[in-house]
Amino acid sequence: MTTSTVTITLEEFCSSQGVSRTALLEMVEYDVVQPTGGHGEQDWKFDCSSVQWAKRALRLKRDLELDWVAVAILVDLMRERESLARENEQLRLRLQRFLAGE
Amino acid sequence: MEFKDYYRILGVEPDAETKDIKTAYRKLARKYHPDLNPGEEAEANFKEVAEAWEVLKDSERRAEYDELRKYGGRQEQFRPPPGWQQAGHGEHFSGDFSDFFNAIFGADLRREGAWAGGVDRGGQDVEIEMPVFLEETVSDCQKPVEYEIPVLEGNQLRHRRKSLKVKIPAGVTDGERIRVKGQGAPGSGSGAPGDLYLHIRLVPHPVFDVEGHNLLVTVPIAPWEAALGARVVIPTLEGRISLSVAPGSQSGQKLRVRGKGLAGRSGRGDLIALLKVVMPPQTDAATDPLWQELADKAAFDPRAEWSKQS
Repeated sequence: MTTSTVTITLEEFCSSQGVSRTALLEMVEYDVVQPTGGHGEQDWKFDCSSVQWAKRALRLKRDLELDWVAVAILVDLMRERESLARENEQLRLRLQRFLAGE
Repeated sequence: MEFKDYYRILGVEPDAETKDIKTAYRKLARKYHPDLNPGEEAEANFKEVAEAWEVLKDSERRAEYDELRKYGGRQEQFRPPPGWQQAGHGEHFSGDFSDFFNAIFGADLRREGAWAGGVDRGGQDVEIEMPVFLEETVSDCQKPVEYEIPVLEGNQLRHRRKSLKVKIPAGVTDGERIRVKGQGAPGSGSGAPGDLYLHIRLVPHPVFDVEGHNLLVTVPIAPWEAALGARVVIPTLEGRISLSVAPGSQSGQKLRVRGKGLAGRSGRGDLIALLKVVMPPQTDAATDPLWQELADKAAFDPRAEWSKQS
């Protein structure tokens, strides 16, 4: 059986395809992705979704020729939209259940 | 191969200034960028637009393209003119470009970095959706996963099926991603393979709703159970439990059962039982007189608030 992890270290993150250390440190500085726990860089851990968000951020930065501040705002809003969509879906299911049988 | 009219793709005149072409590109990139617009159509459109910009933003490349356009732009099937030197000069393009682009600017599959012989490059990460049932999140579970990875066979890019059994750690949440190291696409040379990412989707449950780490269950109760109190049996993710409903309970009231929610990294959430008073579906000759008696004896006006206002 193959094991899986829910977090990724800075080193692993940087060896991930297409994310350089410099870019990653910039993304942390601008809050595009946030490490959890750890005092120094060597102890940083990121949740695995950060990898996808980092790649997305890099593509958007390159393709739309944005600066990091704009990318940070964009990613923030995209994450918020994703979580609202999820919450909306959960509430819709609850409402359906509540209305069923009326 | 098909001749690509990059000016038409970007909706600009052939004599347009670079800054106007840039504006056109940025507008279309915003419209079609695959990270902002889901769907394969947007992605295909974006590739065309990005390719057009890649050529037209560079004055040298644009001049070469303009030459070719004079020659080949009106033909149905484009062939580079005889003796045409591939003008790429060994340039490396990281994008995913058309045959037309590759024929002119010389970045064919073999020369493209990701697949270049002798170049050590990490393999691509692969992400797939992973439906998980709520019951499976309570403790570590093992799930079979099947997916495809891109591999290079000879010079052909193919997809190979892969199957694995993956340990899903307890407490995964909807939308979370987990990483399976080294199970993505193989790298080239001595490059490490990419990783597999599982994007967790909690399957909607027929009984439970999810709210953070808490679970909600709607518990239908009869009016007399609400009035007199009762012990009712309710489902949990791990079998049934008995719940005590206090006398005088209301519809919409919540009862918390600690530790019977979803697993989380910092302990388990709670199960919240939401009471819902329901009436018997039909009237009944035996009970109607009893309701009537209740109506006569209970001095209760549920709309007292409204009566006061009018």
